[in-house]
Amino acid sequence: MSALADDTDDESLGSALRRSTLLRHGVFFVALAAVLLVATYLVSPFHDYEIAGVAIYTIAAAGLTVLTGANGQISLGHGALMMIGAYTTSVLLQWRPGLPMIVTLLGAVVSTGLAGSIIGVAGARLRGPYLAGATLALAVALPQIPLHFAGVFGGNQGLNVASPTAPAALGADFPNERWLAWLCLAAALVTLFLLANLLSSSVGRRLRTVRDNEVAARLAGVDVARTQVLAFVISAVCAGLAGALFAYWVSITSPTGFTLTLSLQLLTAVVIGGLGSLTGAVWGSIILIYLPVLTGDLASNLSLSSDVANNVPLAIYGVVLVVAMLVFPRGLQGALVSLARQLARVIRMRGTVLPAVPSAPEQ
Amino acid sequence: MLEVAELTVAYGGVVALDDVSFSVPEGAITAVLGANGAGKTTLVRTISGLVRPRHGSVLLDGAELVGRSPESIARLRVAHVPEGHGIVSELSVDENLRLGGLWRRDRAEQRVAVDEAYALFPPLAARRRGPASGLSGGERQMLSIGRALAARPAVLLLDEPSLGLATRLLAQIMERLGSLVAERKLSVLLIEQNARSALSVAGQAVVLSLGRVVVIDEAHRLAGDEALRHAYLGF
Amino acid sequence: MRAFLIYTVDGVTNGMVYAAVALALVMIWRATRIINYAQGAMAMFTTYIAFFVIEHGTPFWLGFVIALAAGLALGAVTERVLVRPVESRPALSAVILTLGLLIFLEALAPMLFGAQVQSFPAPFSRIDLTAGGTQLYFSRFDIFTVGSVLCVMVLLFVLFQRTTIGLRMRAAAFNPEIARILGIRVGRMLTLGWALAALLGALAGLLAAPVLFLYPTNMDEVLVFGFTGAIIGGLESPVGAVVGALGVGLALSYVSGFLGSDLAPLGSLLILMAVLMIRPRGLFGMTRQRQV
Ligand SMILES: Nc1ncnc2c1ncn2[C@@H]1O[C@H](COP(=O)(O)OP(=O)(O)OP(=O)(O)O)[C@@H](O)[C@H]1O
Ligand SMILES: [Mg+2]
Repeated sequence: MSALADDTDDESLGSALRRSTLLRHGVFFVALAAVLLVATYLVSPFHDYEIAGVAIYTIAAAGLTVLTGANGQISLGHGALMMIGAYTTSVLLQWRPGLPMIVTLLGAVVSTGLAGSIIGVAGARLRGPYLAGATLALAVALPQIPLHFAGVFGGNQGLNVASPTAPAALGADFPNERWLAWLCLAAALVTLFLLANLLSSSVGRRLRTVRDNEVAARLAGVDVARTQVLAFVISAVCAGLAGALFAYWVSITSPTGFTLTLSLQLLTAVVIGGLGSLTGAVWGSIILIYLPVLTGDLASNLSLSSDVANNVPLAIYGVVLVVAMLVFPRGLQGALVSLARQLARVIRMRGTVLPAVPSAPEQ
Repeated sequence: MLEVAELTVAYGGVVALDDVSFSVPEGAITAVLGANGAGKTTLVRTISGLVRPRHGSVLLDGAELVGRSPESIARLRVAHVPEGHGIVSELSVDENLRLGGLWRRDRAEQRVAVDEAYALFPPLAARRRGPASGLSGGERQMLSIGRALAARPAVLLLDEPSLGLATRLLAQIMERLGSLVAERKLSVLLIEQNARSALSVAGQAVVLSLGRVVVIDEAHRLAGDEALRHAYLGF
Repeated sequence: MRAFLIYTVDGVTNGMVYAAVALALVMIWRATRIINYAQGAMAMFTTYIAFFVIEHGTPFWLGFVIALAAGLALGAVTERVLVRPVESRPALSAVILTLGLLIFLEALAPMLFGAQVQSFPAPFSRIDLTAGGTQLYFSRFDIFTVGSVLCVMVLLFVLFQRTTIGLRMRAAAFNPEIARILGIRVGRMLTLGWALAALLGALAGLLAAPVLFLYPTNMDEVLVFGFTGAIIGGLESPVGAVVGALGVGLALSYVSGFLGSDLAPLGSLLILMAVLMIRPRGLFGMTRQRQV
């Protein structure tokens, strides 16, 4: 997320930006929001809908990045946490259909925060495969609850959720998909902004210290268990928020939407993007949404059977995960960064050979 | 005959061995002496293939060992008693001993070699069914040496075998080793902190300091040269 | 009482299938410090291979053996091609690698064999036996399930404890460096370990499919239950894994019998958490960290 404006003539603004991470992130996110706002206008409502999906996955993947990338804990059960968020929203809407979105989102955040702290406390003593196993069991067990308590959760059919309609002020023909995209993008940007600041704060340092060397962290006075729980709660809250938006996005909340595959896809997004980097989470989410679109087009062009076509994206995720671990252990973001470094080196080498360009505005 | 030539080993930036050359003649014990961190362990680990050198060669009867895997070097009859014994503590005493000669095909011969180890170290025989983790430090050292001998090696690399052994027992082992060396034309590379005892059994001695060979000489001459002893061996 | 007996027999039968998976996971964990999350998917895939060749006219038992052999090969290839390069990397690499393999196999199976749920033939009748007019609560297939898993376990025990190849494999798993300087080809031992584990997994797949039906994710829950059993057993101990998995099988059978089948996975989660709260490294787990 190094998003710094290039050198400005205004010394004071430049140095202020350099000094304050908060300000720097703020400027960057406002600029990004403006760009995205324009972008949603330029594309069709159908594509707005896809953008909303990217935003939703980004929220969940960013949360998982904090847990797995920064803190080194693995969760194979984040799909289940998304499910808690989605069902909280859906049940709230079932109870009071007109409830404003902000309330249902908050409800989802609170309920997954609670669930996350329970799981986090229970899992704080667990390491490596023991934690992975517990979260895996969670991913498989939780979707059974709505089936058992079909009265509240609608059983296999699930619960319908009315997708949000654009406010009248935006004009009568303003597409609802674009409105949903705005809401999801806003949520994603706020989440990323908060997480970016968190990761560059002392809390972020603490998370990484625990990841890198637990014993050293303990010696340095870090409360390891509390840090682990904190990371779990933060990522659970993100998953809950994503789950709530997911309910609006797909308009129905049912157990089939939250299988083990979803949990694994989230982890895929985090890994493909590059563990530990929020930008990587964005990349991963883009791939998660657009790869099926691309392969769907390809499959219909090649007139493949649906059994094949439906599974091509998953097969690709699998291959990409395996190849990524064998070839690019630092993910897409890592690969891009090292590529950029190499390019920069090539350019710099040219620069030493060529005479300095006099018109270059150098400071 | 084992010949080490121009061996250079580095861990990242740290040079642990710098252009080390010497040879270990057949049927004799060659002592390698030096202070902590001189590179003694690095030397034997490089010979047995656990560490890749940056440069140089290790020849066993003319065959290059550098570049071979540790398992194939072991199969060329190079046995290594690693620093700090290196027994497999999850296995029983008997299983540990059997591991020594496992790579050879002849079962009967394997058994004979294991029984020899028990004869050499009677305390092990009493605990043969027990887990190796239950052994004392000295018994572990016996197990490790016994296991190496059960492999019927041509070259024996001993990295500080005296560690944890009582002086009397050490003397016994050294004596037994001495006769084996003559009997089987064994080449022994003996690494020792305790220079005095090593020099008393060795034919030749190599002194390492900060990764370089500073002295190669006959052991008795080295033991007799007070200036050298003071400078490098501290006694 | 009748219900209790039925659930007990069911629990033991399912538990044996989970035990096969649990034991496979533990074998690989002990040898390479890796949890093979693709264990279930590999078993699903080899069962599809059996299904395919049987559909195309191969006799059942030949198909059965082909699936076991395919498991052996799949395990060996996985270790050799995929796992070996990441062995020295951080633990997370191997986790993600096997998850990638899981996702890939679950996508490849429907591409090759179709996505619809298939019924897989049982080699023996699944109807409960009667002895002299009294109803017994188990079928020939149940006997076969328990018997074949037990048989393979005994064979593995003999292989590991009574043969030199087993001794080599244990040495390679416990202390690879020492094993290497003793002339043991550690790489081959690990490949063999993965192959044998996958064989055991393949057996579990073949035994589960007649009950669960055959579809690309049919082994997901079996993997989770087997893994739960292995964790309860402490991951290090083969006996612990079998005991843990049998416990999970029984507990799930009672939960789904008396409380409702939807609650079985939840029951497994609760048992797992309860055990881990008391002993974070499982019942038979070592508190001592092994030096790597
Ligand atoms: N795995 C390693 N990584 C980095 N440096 C190492 C490693 N092993 C040894 N060294 C360094 O190489 C040098 C030689 O170490 P080595 O273990 O060979 O010494 P030594 O003579 O056996 O010492 P000691 O008598 O204490 O056993 C030392 O400076 C040591 O710090
Ligand atoms: Mg040493």
